[in-house]
Amino acid sequence: MKLSLNSQSNLFRAVLSILAGFVIVGVLLKMSGYSPLQCYQALAEGATGIRSGKPINLSDRGFYIGSWQGNFSPYTFAQTLATITPLLFCGLAIALGLRAGLFNIGALGQMTLGAMTAAFVGAIGAHGSLKPVAGSLPHWAHVPLALLAGAVAGGLWGALAGYLKAKRGVHEVLSTIMLNYIALNLANYLAMHNLKDPNPSNMAAQTGLIAKSAWLTPIVAQSSLTVGLLLAVAAAVGVAFLLWRTALGYEIRAVGLGAEAARTAGIPVSQILIKTMAMSGALAGVAGALEVMGIHHRFVQGTAGDYGFDGIAVALLGGSHPFGIVLSASFFGALGNGANFMQIQTDVPKTIAVVVQAIIVLLVGLRFRRTESAKPLVLAEKEGRKDG
Amino acid sequence: MGNGWLMALVTSTLFNATPLALAAMGGVLSERAGVVNIALEGFILLGAFVGFYFGLHSVFMGVLAVVVAGALFGLLHAFFTQKARMNPVVSGLGLNLLIAGATRYLALRLFPQGDHIAGLSPNLFLSLAAVLPFLLVFTLQQTKFGLRLRAVGENPESARMAGISPTLPRYMAVMLSGVCASIAGAYLSMADAHTFTSDMSAGKGYVALAAVIFGKWNPLGAAGGALFFGFFYALQTQLQINQYHLNWLGVEWTSPFLLDCLPYAMTLLALVSVIGRATPPAALSQEE
Repeated sequence: MKLSLNSQSNLFRAVLSILAGFVIVGVLLKMSGYSPLQCYQALAEGATGIRSGKPINLSDRGFYIGSWQGNFSPYTFAQTLATITPLLFCGLAIALGLRAGLFNIGALGQMTLGAMTAAFVGAIGAHGSLKPVAGSLPHWAHVPLALLAGAVAGGLWGALAGYLKAKRGVHEVLSTIMLNYIALNLANYLAMHNLKDPNPSNMAAQTGLIAKSAWLTPIVAQSSLTVGLLLAVAAAVGVAFLLWRTALGYEIRAVGLGAEAARTAGIPVSQILIKTMAMSGALAGVAGALEVMGIHHRFVQGTAGDYGFDGIAVALLGGSHPFGIVLSASFFGALGNGANFMQIQTDVPKTIAVVVQAIIVLLVGLRFRRTESAKPLVLAEKEGRKDG
Repeated sequence: MGNGWLMALVTSTLFNATPLALAAMGGVLSERAGVVNIALEGFILLGAFVGFYFGLHSVFMGVLAVVVAGALFGLLHAFFTQKARMNPVVSGLGLNLLIAGATRYLALRLFPQGDHIAGLSPNLFLSLAAVLPFLLVFTLQQTKFGLRLRAVGENPESARMAGISPTLPRYMAVMLSGVCASIAGAYLSMADAHTFTSDMSAGKGYVALAAVIFGKWNPLGAAGGALFFGFFYALQTQLQINQYHLNWLGVEWTSPFLLDCLPYAMTLLALVSVIGRATPPAALSQEE
């Protein structure tokens, strides 16, 4: 897996793919009897929180631009920002894998186990209680502890796939898909049996509430937006630092450009593969922990949603670069929350956003001409010397 | 648990192996030609959707649509990976995502109530799944097309030097692969469930791909792999139907959630134990 990373052409390609995605889906919407413009307007309203007309809710702010009256819903915009958080973490997780030449399709499973473990650790001081309780640990200790637990669980699950790839030659796409199904079912099993919500009226697969000491408070009232978004941005900076400012990052990139050449250069390829998958899984695990601590305050079936797979689109659109991923996660977060809003407003199934996403993935991946990086590193170097 | 239970298990194994084997034949075709094909998963879902939707009008239309749709999407995967030089995993994931999103959307738009169809006999698909591996062995070993297909899969450069362009055999192989996998999907909707539900492929394309590796890229071996994994799907279903209970060491081993893990866990175990002894077609690793 080699990615050409000419950033200017990549940005152009990304914008073009997004536009093409909207045009194609617009045709699809038109064909199924909707008005694409109306749909996209609702999508934009849901994504930004800005609508025309008088404020609807108490928390909305009205404003005028010339004679045009609009209003801004902080809640709606906060929901978009909240959707960006897990997308950013999962996008980073997958991009980190791609840098080492690994397709981590397992973010879903890693996120699920991260969420479940954080729900378990978050419930310290609250096990078995029916109502939200303060908990026995101080807030400043409990929050990092639960996040760490999520990272460790996701990391171990990722490292397992890394180990199978490095030592047993099992392709990571197959192993992570299988590990996804296993993780989902394991977490649901625990939520149905050992860690089941003690409330006798509950029938769903969910755990009991975590202690309030592990809750993340919403930044905008009632919304799902927490400090998690800042953590996600910090993680992007961290991944960039790791990749381009540390020896480990150098080795990861070298393995990604060509495992054989890296091995010849004395890089312990197996170790790098396992470490990369562990870090990738840890990022996804934190995403799961944040969903539990900031939104549900417990593990519920389907906590990880589709974020694990959305993260693939985020990573590819972002050119596997942490800063590109901040942009693409913002885009997909806006698209996701916008689609939710659009479904309510126009009755268009929100799953149409998945079609936009798929078209973008396919168009961003188009290459047509053989780029230099499509050849093994050593070959490309030799030819370069010949040409020069 | 007498003979009846055993018979049910055997029958269930055969029918669970049917879609896996059909899709696995698609996997063999594509991978022997040197094209990684994780789009099998999407092709199965595509076949399930198209077969059901057109099958509502007439069974013949359904079958025709399944074949055409499979070939067309196979062509897309071939175009993306060969002409557009897209990474085959990216192309596969993109197609899977596209098909999953589009079928979910269309299912909501076209048949929100969840219609049912009479469909086709499962035995038809079972027979096809039983014959196809042998047909494929013959094609790969005895025909000019099979020889070319293997040549471009093992060593595209030598094939090119011998005057065989890798393009045509690869396009053919990937298109046929799409047809096989979408027929596997048609089994799910037209012969098994008699309805379409979103994401009903449920990872079967990936398990089929594991069966291909398990069978060392050989059609008969892949069919054997499909039977092996089909057995665990069947075992899981039979244990659930019989509501058999096993609580050992405080774990409810027969919980539906844990039983659901069984085929996937066994697939993973099989991959771990078989790889290292299996050699993939040479061009697969080059193309990555």
